[in-house]
Amino acid sequence: MVTRTWKLLIFAIVACGGIGTARSFQTPAPDGTARAVKAAEAFLSTLDERQRAKANLGLNEQTRIVWSNLPTGSKMQVGATERNGLKLGDMTPPQEKAALALLAATLSAEGYDKALAVVGADQVLEEQSAPKRAPTQAVRFGRGEYYLAILGKASTTEKWMMQFGGHHLAINVTFAGRQQVLAPTHTGTQPASYSITGKTIRPLGDENDKAFALVNALNPEQQKQAILDVQVRNLVLGPGTDGKTIQPEGVRASAFTGPQRTMLLDLAREWVGILGNEAAAAKMKDIEGSLPETYFAWAGPTTNGKGAYFRIQGPAVFIEYAPQGQGDNNTDHIHTIYREPANDYAAKAVER
Amino acid sequence: MTARLAFAATAAVVALLSIDGQSHNLDEYLQAARLSLVRDRVALELDLTPGVAVAPGIIAIIDQDADAAISSEEARAYAQTVMSDVRLSLDGQAIGVKLDRVEVPSAADLRSGLGTIAIRASSSVDRLGGGRHSLQFKNDHRPGGAAYLINALAPDDPAIRVLSQARDPIQREGRIEYEIHSSSPARWFWLFAVVACFPRQVVAFVRKLRTARAT
Repeated sequence: MVTRTWKLLIFAIVACGGIGTARSFQTPAPDGTARAVKAAEAFLSTLDERQRAKANLGLNEQTRIVWSNLPTGSKMQVGATERNGLKLGDMTPPQEKAALALLAATLSAEGYDKALAVVGADQVLEEQSAPKRAPTQAVRFGRGEYYLAILGKASTTEKWMMQFGGHHLAINVTFAGRQQVLAPTHTGTQPASYSITGKTIRPLGDENDKAFALVNALNPEQQKQAILDVQVRNLVLGPGTDGKTIQPEGVRASAFTGPQRTMLLDLAREWVGILGNEAAAAKMKDIEGSLPETYFAWAGPTTNGKGAYFRIQGPAVFIEYAPQGQGDNNTDHIHTIYREPANDYAAKAVER
Repeated sequence: MTARLAFAATAAVVALLSIDGQSHNLDEYLQAARLSLVRDRVALELDLTPGVAVAPGIIAIIDQDADAAISSEEARAYAQTVMSDVRLSLDGQAIGVKLDRVEVPSAADLRSGLGTIAIRASSSVDRLGGGRHSLQFKNDHRPGGAAYLINALAPDDPAIRVLSQARDPIQREGRIEYEIHSSSPARWFWLFAVVACFPRQVVAFVRKLRTARAT
């Protein structure tokens, strides 16, 4: 009798798991995935066979990790010497238009603007550095050095990835049926502020301003917990550190007031909101649900205009913002990272 | 001739500073340490990234035969030097660190200020019992111009809990306080599994124990 009951129980567990597995990929994908699939197919149709072979690679553990903060011409942290995909500089105008349409279909309007603002900053860097560059120098900056890759077959049911990246930018979006995961994604900028036709652009300006507003909204006791009495010169879990989790530090959001929680969520949304709206809303719900176990840590001055490091870390999210360099000149060069603990590259998505 | 060479070398560094240096730290030697805690082992991951202005000095140390190529022997010898500058102690007792592996980028990548030397090392310790423990770490490797990071990795073992991380302001030296629970969730899982798989035997065993105690 006991054996029979156990058998039934095991059968029920296995059956439920099986149903869950099948459901996760049979549920219709949200519009965002369908839009991205359509745009990916449209982009690939503009390419010749050689270009398509470069732009569309298999999705596996070796290809998905090829991304970096570093410019073209440098060896990446994972050992690769070139990014996946086809770079904008090697595309015809219609191909580039289709590539950017895929980016727009994958990201929110704000995310798309942020990505192109980072690209714009690098174009400024290229224009400043090109005249002084030695002919033998392999390192290159600028708009033409941003690569677009599709890993796997664009699908509303199977897992695939879109990568868009270059210096200071690595957007890695994994589609897994109804899920879209932005992690890991790197944003950065240098310069931190530049002007185009009289308009000032700060690619990561909102991240900076919202973080300073939050740290200054904490009471003295909360600040005491949040502020680490150390200098932090770079990202702790930047490119090349996939799969690692550090011990959380700082103040727990469980101690936050309602307005402070809203500010923290609004700050995290600067990264999460890069993704299309439906997917970002689902992710923000996850983060909100685990807010009591989420930490906020700070290192550096609390006066906006000076360089300071901060980190948001919880069960659903890991974000770092790290000014580079030292002294008064460390506000013009920023690195950031967005990760999802145990869910980079949609690791938690159930495979069929 | 020497003056010409010196001029050429200076010009090359200036050119690098003006290009790569604009995008990454010039005169810092970033030394990022991550420590993982296991009951019978301490593992150290040390990522070293020399900025473009300090890279030539580091390359000169690593590339002992000055052939502009870094051999695996040279890489290992440099990693051993770094390890000899690192101090680890557990509960007040110094522990030796053994080099497990090292990856050094090419001299060209290092020279551009964009290469990272990855050192992985570990230290076997007697299996720690339950209670509170303290791990201290100090990095004395090339302190001039160094920028340090020290972080504890979140323990994989649910029985290990990090209590605090204390560091000096430049993160050259740090102390991780942690505790080990003698009864972990994993143990409860196995206890549950034994009861679930052998219910009759467990009941009989408990009855036997009670009888033995009563008599």
